[in-house]
Amino acid sequence: MKKTIQLSINRRPYTVDVEPHWTLLDMLRNELGMLGTKRGCDKGDCGTCTVLVNGRPVNSCLYLAVRANSKEILTVEGLETDEGLHPLQKAFLEKGAVQCGFCTPGMLMASVSLLDEKQSPTEEEVRWAISGNLCRCTGYQHIVEAVMSAAEKR
Amino acid sequence: MALPRFQYHEPTSLAEACQMLKAFGETAAILAGGTDLLVKMKNRELQSQNIVSLAELEEIKQINVTGSNTSIGACCTISQIAESVKIRSTYPALASGAECLGSPAVRNLGTIGGNVVTASPAADLPPALVAYGAKVRLKSEDRERFFLLEEFFRGPGATHIGNDEIIADLHLDEPSECSGAGFFKLGHRRALQCSIINGACYLALNPQSGEIETARVVLGAVAPTIVRASSAENILMGEKPSANLFLEAGRAATRDCSPIDDLRGSAAYRRDMIQVLTNRTLHAALENIR
Repeated sequence: MKKTIQLSINRRPYTVDVEPHWTLLDMLRNELGMLGTKRGCDKGDCGTCTVLVNGRPVNSCLYLAVRANSKEILTVEGLETDEGLHPLQKAFLEKGAVQCGFCTPGMLMASVSLLDEKQSPTEEEVRWAISGNLCRCTGYQHIVEAVMSAAEKR
Repeated sequence: MALPRFQYHEPTSLAEACQMLKAFGETAAILAGGTDLLVKMKNRELQSQNIVSLAELEEIKQINVTGSNTSIGACCTISQIAESVKIRSTYPALASGAECLGSPAVRNLGTIGGNVVTASPAADLPPALVAYGAKVRLKSEDRERFFLLEEFFRGPGATHIGNDEIIADLHLDEPSECSGAGFFKLGHRRALQCSIINGACYLALNPQSGEIETARVVLGAVAPTIVRASSAENILMGEKPSANLFLEAGRAATRDCSPIDDLRGSAAYRRDMIQVLTNRTLHAALENIR
């Protein structure tokens, strides 16, 4: 039986009828058509489905949609504002931190929570923040540079 | 991979959760963080028609300090433990275990109760919890009981918890003044890594004589459950800490373990590392006293 949940996604209020067995990832992609958040391993190992719940990164594949009731969700679609791309997104473009792009939404969400938490993160802290996010293309170096550069520029 | 269908129940108190668990019997499973349960359900390793969610139950999401007792609610997340000022200052080996569990996103979901009840011999929190002498409190509809955590585990994935019981919280006594503890985890990488071996050591010294009064050497992923290395502890007790003593204790620790060959490492490698890392962690525990 479906349950009705009320939540905020990317600063907008939503009311959604969800099946108990849907994950937040299922709801975002299949019900709301928000395809920015990717489905990778679907078991919490790859990090590409990372979204922020009340400001903290979680694997949306391991988070039941019903749990999102009354929560604030931020997905990659919510990074861009009226002022344009998020500084982190700009830095990813400038530093060539995107190759195939499949890990990028998760990388951005894991990094954005670090930047919210720490004014000037060290390289070690950046690597630790994205340690749950697998990238098979870049070797991580340009991603780390992008996050560092976004932190320095603000 | 889609989850199988189930009924979802969100009790508003621990008491109500216990009633539900009893009513649903074997058809029930408890959801805390979901990092193990949902994976098992996706893999169809576990079928439960009734999911009882404790995930939003504030009652068991707190770390409370009462006098010399610290209780950690079963649904405290791993991040909450890693970041707690109280845990970091009083139980640093536990904070270290929490810091290296999974990934940041997994730590924001996974819970201490889940980490304990899943009973993986390689779990990251139990070694330090046992080293600090933790007790686990179980609640059911009509009773409450405590276990010393080291006596709670029966084998991989198996504990003494009953079908109608829920872990309410874990209890830790204030460590004695002249004590310290350390934690280690050996893995192929630092994140999202099931330990090759892990462990924690606790040392309490007699403040006058400087001799070791209490020694707990706890090792994980070296046997079907985590083990107290009593041979190592016997060597340490009553002696003054020294580099030679710690080396000898490390060698003795291998006698208390029965490691296996698996995809993460060979039994022989594990035995070598038990020796090296027990020694190193005893030094860390001693440093932690000062």
